[in-house]
Amino acid sequence: MRVAFILGEIGGGLRRNVSMVVSVILVTFVSLTFVGTAGMLQMQINQMKGYWYDKVQVAVFLCVDTSTSPTCASGPATDEQKKNIETLLDSAAVKPYVTSWAYESQADALKHFKEQFANSPIVDSVTADQLPASFRVNMVNPEKYQIINETFSATPGVETVIDQRQLLEKLFSVMNIASLVAVGIAGLMIICAILLIATTIRLSAFSRRRETGIMRLVGASKAVIQLPFVLEGVIAAVIGAVLASGTVWAVAKFFIQDYLANQYKDTAFISANQVLILTPGLLVLGILLAGISSLLTLRKYLKV
Amino acid sequence: MIRFDNVTKIYDQKTRPALDSISLEIDRGEFAFLVGASGSGKSTFLRLVLKEDHATRGVVYVAGQNVAKISSWRVPKLRRGIGVVFQDFRLLPNKTVFANVAFAMQVIGKSRGIIRETVPEVLKTVGLEGKENRLPHELSGGEQQRVAIARAVVNKPGILLADEPTGNLDPTTSLGIMKVLDKINRNGTTVVMATHDDDIVNEMRKRVIELRNGVVLRDEAKALYTSMIPVIPAADFGSGLSAEANK
Repeated sequence: MRVAFILGEIGGGLRRNVSMVVSVILVTFVSLTFVGTAGMLQMQINQMKGYWYDKVQVAVFLCVDTSTSPTCASGPATDEQKKNIETLLDSAAVKPYVTSWAYESQADALKHFKEQFANSPIVDSVTADQLPASFRVNMVNPEKYQIINETFSATPGVETVIDQRQLLEKLFSVMNIASLVAVGIAGLMIICAILLIATTIRLSAFSRRRETGIMRLVGASKAVIQLPFVLEGVIAAVIGAVLASGTVWAVAKFFIQDYLANQYKDTAFISANQVLILTPGLLVLGILLAGISSLLTLRKYLKV
Repeated sequence: MIRFDNVTKIYDQKTRPALDSISLEIDRGEFAFLVGASGSGKSTFLRLVLKEDHATRGVVYVAGQNVAKISSWRVPKLRRGIGVVFQDFRLLPNKTVFANVAFAMQVIGKSRGIIRETVPEVLKTVGLEGKENRLPHELSGGEQQRVAIARAVVNKPGILLADEPTGNLDPTTSLGIMKVLDKINRNGTTVVMATHDDDIVNEMRKRVIELRNGVVLRDEAKALYTSMIPVIPAADFGSGLSAEANK
C-alpha cells in the first residue's frame, strides 16, 4: 500500500514539473556522456599500449649521404660498419635484452615508405638513397631502450637510435590530455547537474508543501515524506545515465568500431561491447549525484 | 494526557517569553478551551504539544511521555496520536472528500481495505454522508471543516488539537462544528481547542484556560469566556499600574 502510495506521489511529482525533470535528464545526460567519453579514451589508450608495446622496436638508423652526425663523418655506412653492428647485436652484452633483430636496407625502407604514404604525392620524389638503412631491434623489455642507445649511438656509421615507444608516448600524452579535458568538462557539468537537481527538488517540495505539511501532521514517517522527492531526482538521473551510456556506446560502435577501425586497420581499437562495462559506473554515479543532492536539499527545505 | 511542568518558551531573548513558566494538566477525555488574546501563547502551547518546537525550560508530557526525550525518528509516532484541526481547514484542493480523509491513512501505511471501511464511518460521525466524492471547493466552509476534523480523527488519535476551528465560520455553522467536536470528545478523545469565540465557550460550559502574555490567568471548570469573578494574578500586582500606563 505504502509502495503504491509513494509511486503515485512520484508520478504526480514528475508530471507536475515536466520541464525541470527534462532539464535534469539532459544535464545528467551531457555530464555523464563526458565522464563516459573520458573513460572510453582511457580504455583506448590502454588498448593501444598493450597492442603497440609488443610491436615497438628500437631503430638503429645508419648514416646516409646527407647525415650530419659526428659518427657519420666518414660518409654513408660501410659494409664493415654494418658487420660491426651485427656483431655487437649478437655480443654477450646486448644479446640477453634482444629477442630478435632485422636489417632493413635502403630498398626495403623505400618500399615501406611507399606503402605508408601511398596516397601522398611525396612518394614520387623520394629515392632509396635518401632513406637510411636501419637495424630493427625487438627488445625483451622495451623499457631497457637505454642499453641499445648507449651501445650504438656512438658507434661509427650509426646516425641515430630511435625508440619508437617515445613516439607513441607523445600520442598517448595527447590522448591523456583529451581525456583530462573531458573529465574537466564533466566535472563542471556535474556541478550544474547537482545544482539543478537541488533546485528542482526545492521547487517540487515547495509546490507540494500543502501535502507534506499534512503528511507531517498525521504522522507520516520521514521516509514516506522524503522518498518521493529523492526518487524523482534519482529517476531523472538514471534516465540521463542510460542516455549517456547509449551515446558512449553509439560513439564506440559507429565512430570507432565501424569507421576508425576500418580506416586504420593496423591500429588496435576498442570494441563497442568493451565500452558497456562503463554503464554500471555511469548509473551509480547518476544515482549518487541525484540522491546526495536531493537529500541535502530536503534536509534544508523539508523539515520533518 | 497533556502535562506542562514549569514550561517556558522563549523565541527571542530580547522579547518576553511566549510562555512563562506554565504548569497545567489536561486529563484523558477532557475538553478544554484555550482562550486569550492574540500573542497570549495559545499557538505556542499547541506547537509544544506537537513537538514542532521544543520548550526552552521545563518539561512537556504528552500521553505520559516527555516529548523532549522523543528522538526525531519517533516524532511521527507521537503525531499519529494527535489530531490537528486549523482555522483554514488545510484540505488538498484536488482531492475528493474521501481522498482527503484517506490520505491521512495512506501516508501511515494503512491497507486499502481498512481505509475503505474506516473513512465512510468517520465521515458519518462528522455528518458528511453522501458527500464522499465532492471536491473541497464544492463544499461550504462548515462542511470543509468537518472534512478536516474527519481527517484529524480518522487514525483514532487520543488527543485532538483545534486551533480556532470556528474562526472562519458563522455562528450557526460553528455550533454544528462544536457538536461534532463534543461527539468526538464523548467517544474518549481529549480535545484542546484554542478559540476567540466567546459564544461557543459560553454555550459549551467546559474547562477554560485563559492565557495572557504567556501566563495562565485563569483555569476554571465549566466556565465562561470571560471570568465571572475578576481575577488579578499575583504577578500583575504592582506591575498593573505601569501596564496601564503603557497603554
